[in-house]
Amino acid sequence: MVAGGLAYFIPAASTAFDALGQTVSVPSPSVALLTTPSPVPTPSPVALGSPFTILLLGSDDDSKFSADHVLTQSMILVRVVPATKQVTMVSIPRDLYVPLSVGGTGKIDGAYSYGGAGAAIATVQENFGVHIDDYIWVGLLGLIKLIDAIGGVDVVTSHPVMDDYYPADVFSNYPYDYERVAVLGGPQHLDGLSAMQYVRSRHGDLQSDFGRSQRQQDVLLAIRQKAKQLTPEDLPRIAAAIGGELKSSITVTRVAEMLPLAASFDNPDSITQIVLLPPYTHGGGPGGSVVANWSLILPLVHQYFP
Amino acid sequence: MVLTGTFTYIYLEGRQSKVAVAPKKPTLAIPSPHAFTLPGTLFLAQAGALYSLNSGRFHQLTAEEGWSQPSLFPNGLLAVKRSVLYSDIYILNRFGQVQRQETVDIASIPTGADPSSYNWAFYPRISPDQTSLWLAYDNPKYGYDVILSIWQMPLYGSIHEGKLWSSADDYTGGDVQPIPLAGGGVIYTKYSYGPDLKLIGQLWYTNRPSGSFVTGHALTDPSEDCRDPALSPDGHEVAMICTYEKQISYLTIATWDGSNLGPRTTLVSSQLVAQPTWAPDGSGIAYLAPGSPDGPFQLWFLPKNAYAPPPPSPIPTPTPTPGGPYNGHLPSPSPLPAPTPIVVRPIQITTDQGFDATSPMAWTG
Repeated sequence: MVAGGLAYFIPAASTAFDALGQTVSVPSPSVALLTTPSPVPTPSPVALGSPFTILLLGSDDDSKFSADHVLTQSMILVRVVPATKQVTMVSIPRDLYVPLSVGGTGKIDGAYSYGGAGAAIATVQENFGVHIDDYIWVGLLGLIKLIDAIGGVDVVTSHPVMDDYYPADVFSNYPYDYERVAVLGGPQHLDGLSAMQYVRSRHGDLQSDFGRSQRQQDVLLAIRQKAKQLTPEDLPRIAAAIGGELKSSITVTRVAEMLPLAASFDNPDSITQIVLLPPYTHGGGPGGSVVANWSLILPLVHQYFP
Repeated sequence: MVLTGTFTYIYLEGRQSKVAVAPKKPTLAIPSPHAFTLPGTLFLAQAGALYSLNSGRFHQLTAEEGWSQPSLFPNGLLAVKRSVLYSDIYILNRFGQVQRQETVDIASIPTGADPSSYNWAFYPRISPDQTSLWLAYDNPKYGYDVILSIWQMPLYGSIHEGKLWSSADDYTGGDVQPIPLAGGGVIYTKYSYGPDLKLIGQLWYTNRPSGSFVTGHALTDPSEDCRDPALSPDGHEVAMICTYEKQISYLTIATWDGSNLGPRTTLVSSQLVAQPTWAPDGSGIAYLAPGSPDGPFQLWFLPKNAYAPPPPSPIPTPTPTPGGPYNGHLPSPSPLPAPTPIVVRPIQITTDQGFDATSPMAWTG
């Protein structure tokens, strides 16, 4: 039986472990820009019943960028409190102008490109005053494959997302090309490609990145909802389908342990979604960046991320 | 080890969830002898093909070539055929064969064209007098601001002869789902920014073309976030979905007096409802909703008894007893037991399909 179990799990799990369970090097703050990060030990995994915080990172990782130097277009802090079954999501504007953990100041989406997940985590921890237990990073193709591997997601799209200049950079030979996108409004079952178009397009939204953040949170909730139906036996297949295009500090074993937890969260009113719209932020920062109003942001964040 | 491994593989495969099982083609649905049969013929879309459902059996009308959004047309259908860059409206006969292309939305010089020189046409409807075609069309649009607007064009004519009936709000996705009315006006869904700056849908009514001005008035409140309007066969009720700005979707109906909606009645609040469609004989409302939580959309039917129960039977009038009046003591009548309310639930028509929930359905008697 053990041999059989290995025969089943090893091929897929080996793929998964390439990407999951990664050790994170969280750099110490430094005054010099782009210095080599100083690694500190990865925090121990939190006990399953304890509250925990995950930083979700999403990147355009098409061929326009070198593989290890991508920006994080999406940064979402997620706090899960198993005891009260509460989930809080805070979308961090990608253009937020902050001191970076690797030194200097810049848009927060650059932290990952300068120092990987460790730098992104440290930058968020230092600016928002929160502790992050784990991270998950996913690229464009990873998101498509993940959603397809779980059979698509049901989403109420807020409006028709129409974009005549959507980047055709995932399946195109020329990553600077454009394509037309029309994701119609209303309840629907989205496959991976349509879901990515829905969360990525920002041209047809007055709130640009903020509107996109709201859509990203809605799709995340749909993924979480779908995860309720998964069994541990699904994980090797899903990991194989994603094929290493998702990175995380969370191990496959821990993901399997978390599935029953996900299934127990069934009250939509216990989910808090936060997008840092004005007055929490305002435009006009250097290089088109967004300026934080920390006197408003920090009390709000610390209310949910003690 | 190989044998044990194989058996264990099969065993563990069996313990996997069914989340990634692909939907079956509707024509592979095996009708149960006791299955509920909808009246008339219902048209709907799955995976880019149009299907009809008649007498409990599905028939595939088109190949999987981007077809969706069927609506009724004399002796046939209007439908949308969508490609990667644009979509067009076609007239099909009742067997799904193309009779005529009504719009031409490919760029005039397609090779190397700017993407914005293509157009989208969605949600076709024929006017009640059968002389014009109503649609949602992405013109005018301004650079990144691609918005659908409500248009009326002559049947067998051109969009260049058409009239613009709505003034879509910028950067919202625009105005969609026109329902032309016998009185000359139109109900449609308008997307706009609500007071909380979230994008929401509202049913809207106007009885004259807009030009560059917003005409008409909202039928629903922004906080209700309603879409997918459908007018009842008698023209006195509107079915719609309302999401209240959440990831929910309630089947809701309201009376319609020709220019305003009455109080709302929520009929289904436990499912993610899409595309409510009235039965042509008034016997109920079909809609699409996941068959299992978070799964692909299936066909459901809510019988009329669920929202308009028949009036109670009249109390029988006592008939005179032959033999003249009785002067003795009459027994006092025992009170009748309170009638047990009959809860009418939605009927799930399909189980393994994956219908296009963004595609309205069409239903003819």
